[in-house]
Amino acid sequence: MNQNDLLTTIILIILQLVSTNYLWSLDATNSVSQARFAIFLAIDLLSFAMIAYIYRKIEWREPTYRIWLLLGSFGLVLLLLSSLIFT
Amino acid sequence: MRKEDEVVARLIAWFDSRLGLSHPLLRPVPEYSVNPFYWLGALTVVAFVIQGVTGVLMMLYYVPSPTQAFPTTQYIFQQVYYGRFLESVHLYTAYAMIMLAFMHMMRGYFVSVHKKPREMMWIVGMVMGFVTLGFGFTGYLLPWTVVSKSATDVGIGMIDALPAQISWLLSFLIVGAGGDATELLRFYDLHVVVLPAVLLVLLTIKMYMLECHGISEPVSGAVSQEKRRLIPIFPDISLYLLELAAVFGSAMLLISVIFPLNLPPQYSPQLAAQFTPQPDWYFLWIYQVLKISIFEGPGLSVALSLVTILFILLFLLPFIDRNEKRRLIDRPIFVTLGVIFVAELIVLAYWGLITPGQIIPFEQAALVIGGTALVIALVSFGTYWVLFSRIKRQTSGPTQAPAKLVTLFSFGALATGGAFAIGNTMNTTVNIIVQGLDWWKALELVSSIIMLAFVIFGSALLIYSIELPNGSLSRRIRFLEKMIHESK
Repeated sequence: MNQNDLLTTIILIILQLVSTNYLWSLDATNSVSQARFAIFLAIDLLSFAMIAYIYRKIEWREPTYRIWLLLGSFGLVLLLLSSLIFT
Repeated sequence: MRKEDEVVARLIAWFDSRLGLSHPLLRPVPEYSVNPFYWLGALTVVAFVIQGVTGVLMMLYYVPSPTQAFPTTQYIFQQVYYGRFLESVHLYTAYAMIMLAFMHMMRGYFVSVHKKPREMMWIVGMVMGFVTLGFGFTGYLLPWTVVSKSATDVGIGMIDALPAQISWLLSFLIVGAGGDATELLRFYDLHVVVLPAVLLVLLTIKMYMLECHGISEPVSGAVSQEKRRLIPIFPDISLYLLELAAVFGSAMLLISVIFPLNLPPQYSPQLAAQFTPQPDWYFLWIYQVLKISIFEGPGLSVALSLVTILFILLFLLPFIDRNEKRRLIDRPIFVTLGVIFVAELIVLAYWGLITPGQIIPFEQAALVIGGTALVIALVSFGTYWVLFSRIKRQTSGPTQAPAKLVTLFSFGALATGGAFAIGNTMNTTVNIIVQGLDWWKALELVSSIIMLAFVIFGSALLIYSIELPNGSLSRRIRFLEKMIHESK
């Protein structure tokens, strides 16, 4: 595993931990909270997909495609920003 | 090895030997199949699983009776934890399931997976597609809103126009003894018990056939040895599918946030009288076909027969398209027909969406439907012309003369005349069936058929005239045969 992949995986795991923790603090009947719940669940899923991708590429002894990681990161940033809309 | 590790290892080995955990259940797949397009069917199953989970959660609160259906749906929206979110995800994943199933079918069509030896896989897949549409039809009624009930009533009303035996069977299955309560209960039963069970059985059959035949080869046929490397389903491909499923799931969640579902008003006959019923988007194309003026009243059975013939043709596609050639360049007619089919569905669905309740004059419908087909046929003809010309240039040097303008115009005139002749023949035939035969209609039909015959004769003459000076068609065919022979 190269250093970039390692760093990306660590950041993604931290992001997953934070978002999962945040999910439990939401008010389940409030519609704004429901939107936030969906966004943070989407962040969890997308992070999981990226971690699984890095792990699979390492297992197959292939380099990770930077474009996919960049696209995934861009998606995560977009999701985090969109969560700010629902306040 | 430490004693504790040894105990754990022995325990795992015991379970493995009894349950066959490490025994390969599914055959490994080649590396070239690590591509989302190969797994559209698997993503449809993922959508089905999400539907199952969210559906079971909603079943905890939903009561299938005309008096309780709407209030309990409203309760899910307003009182249940994450209820609105649950409803939105259920709806959008249902849409995605239908769209993925359609994409899976069309990809199969274009890359010829329906050909030998996978004919039965195609037919089972088609039945699964119908079951998926059945989920949409039955689920739409369940919230008992004015939108869902009115549209479903229109759909049920069409059953009477079907042949007596089919009409009786469908009425027995979905309407029962009559009345709203029976109808809703049967729709609910079909939606949550019958259709999922049927889909699971069909999925098992299809998976078994996939195991027998394996994943289809890419149409190009030129795959490196490295790309043919076999990868086990567990854990490698399973991990890849999990990645796809996670991305798909996050997309569904995002769509649910951007377009949260709002519950329309409860159904009542008074409210329904002020409302123009319209089906969900995946049935809009049929809705638009049924609104064409000649299919009004007694013509409805003719329209339903035409739609049924279309479905039968799709079912029997493996026995119609029997040519063993799989590449797009080798199947100009079927590729063009496939593109026309997709384009017509999109055009009709959009047209249906923007003209709710409006009766469409036949001339307008013929112009739009025929025009779409004509434009695509011309574009396809041009594309294939360029492709064939390039292939020819690569093989026989710079001897290719530019396409003659007169040939191009002749082709355009013949295509336009052909579209008009086919449309007019159909129109007259339907009029004769619906309104009965008279001298004027008979004359019109005969003149349309004569025109059609002229178009066919003209086309043959045009092809012959292109062929005559340089034998280009036979050379092209010989060249393609040589290429295919070499690739084998």
